[in-house]
Amino acid sequence: MACSVILFFIGLYCLIVKRNMVRLLMALEIMMNAVNLNFIALSSYRVEGSVHPLAHVFTILSIGIGGCIIALGLVITLYAYRHYRTLDVRELRRLKG
Amino acid sequence: MLSPLLDALIFFVLTTPLIGLMGQRFGREKIFVGVYVTFGFIFSLTLIPLFYSEVLRKNGISVTYGGSLSPEIVCLEANALSIFMAVIFLVIGFMASLFSIQEVRRGSITGYYTILLGMVTAMIGIVFSGDLFTLFIFWEAMCISSYALVAFRKERWESIEASYKYLIMSSAGSITVLFALSFLYGLTGTLNISYLSMSLAEAESNPLSYMALVMIIVGFGLQAGMVPFHTWLPDAHMAAPSPISAVLSGIMVKAGIYGLIKVLLSIFTPMSGPWQNTLAAFAVLTMFVGNLSALLQDDIKRLLAYSTIANTGYILLGLAIGSQRALTGSLFHVLNHAIVKALLFLCAGAFIHKTGTRSLKELAGIRHSMPITSTLFIIGTLSLASIPPLNIFWSELLIITGGLEAGTQAGTPLLSFLMIINLVFSAAYCLRMIQTVAVKKETVTSEKAAEASMWMLIPILTLGLLSILIGVYPSPFQNLAEAAAQAARA
Repeated sequence: MACSVILFFIGLYCLIVKRNMVRLLMALEIMMNAVNLNFIALSSYRVEGSVHPLAHVFTILSIGIGGCIIALGLVITLYAYRHYRTLDVRELRRLKG
Repeated sequence: MLSPLLDALIFFVLTTPLIGLMGQRFGREKIFVGVYVTFGFIFSLTLIPLFYSEVLRKNGISVTYGGSLSPEIVCLEANALSIFMAVIFLVIGFMASLFSIQEVRRGSITGYYTILLGMVTAMIGIVFSGDLFTLFIFWEAMCISSYALVAFRKERWESIEASYKYLIMSSAGSITVLFALSFLYGLTGTLNISYLSMSLAEAESNPLSYMALVMIIVGFGLQAGMVPFHTWLPDAHMAAPSPISAVLSGIMVKAGIYGLIKVLLSIFTPMSGPWQNTLAAFAVLTMFVGNLSALLQDDIKRLLAYSTIANTGYILLGLAIGSQRALTGSLFHVLNHAIVKALLFLCAGAFIHKTGTRSLKELAGIRHSMPITSTLFIIGTLSLASIPPLNIFWSELLIITGGLEAGTQAGTPLLSFLMIINLVFSAAYCLRMIQTVAVKKETVTSEKAAEASMWMLIPILTLGLLSILIGVYPSPFQNLAEAAAQAARA
């Protein structure tokens, strides 16, 4: 569990500090994995030596959902690259107000 | 078999692409898909009254799959609150889909309608889910469809930029919710909402449960447009196609609010003191930032988006006060604000469709060339400024009197006072919009515009009439909201 909390904060740190669009998506993925790890860890706390099926199901579905989000994010990144010719998020500041 | 309503909607989502394919074969894709989706919405709306009477008779129904009710089981639940929200989602989604017949380009119509219908279905799934697991799955389905819809006009840089910003912020928010869910699971060993509330009430106050509470408020609040996390909202509303802005502002923000209501009122009831104070602080911040930023805008859709943030603040305020009356006001405001904001975004969409500009300066004096749309826009704006015979006035009155009634403890009258100050700000920008549309001289752009077509006018007129109807005759709608509030507190 401590490991998953550390992973979550690594992901959050990346999300705040990094400037590359693909790296931001990777940060999201790290956070997602932290959550999945946490689920498995916490479910094995309750029953000694085994993992509860509910946590398993949840984790597998949430890995699938994470895949969807990252796929869509990469598609949007691709279009953004075509428009801006860069992957730097600091360039994405034309919307203001 | 989940529940008849959700089943029907999922069926329509899955078959829409097939119908689109058939339409392409016959060369009439637009008509096929449009008629089919409209039929889907009407069919689901007719299911609602049957379903509602059943729910009222049994005082809430729940459907499980794979065995009887136990802490580990995954289930769907419907009570008065879920039906109330589902009706709002269906009506606004229906209006947006009627409106978009004119907006969408030929080639992409099947994809557009499938994603729109899928988003509404996912939202209805959210309000019907009886455990946090199902809620999360539908939540992500809704979020993914809405990212795709915001980026729908992919040849324009602003939709791509807004969608990327929205994707990063919103998925970070939903991952935060998921992290909180994993802690709740670790604490109690279940994700079923009714079992969760029981086990949390028994458990000693644990620092982990407070951490989960904060994470849930942040995650759902992000989707609802709560202030420190609101920056995606104006961009996404501005860059999306207008019917999608209406859906985002009218109902998707409300799904975030539903998440907050459901989780806070039914799971975290033992800790109501701390979260009420936190939420009150967020609500006050939200309405001030929303209203003050709206005063400065020139872009019509951005202005409306900031006003959505302010109205989220009012709804959260009612939730933070927490009495029966204030909560009724909150839910009634969810209904009224959904109708009025969808009306305003659709009117703005009609203006933009005919003139090609979003700037309020260039839209000045458009009343002369688009009289019907402008009249309804003015009705919507007056309602937003909470002028008495229109609908928003009643719900705001309920929230304010709820705050006054709750007594002097915890300073709730102060909250009502702050809300009244905010209503003055909102009246200021509403009057500015009315002055721009109706009083100012015509510009070159607005002179050239022509009245919107029939498919645009039908949803606008319907929503305008609903707004007037609820304003003149509020009690039946208010009773529905009251039943929903009772179900939420139970």
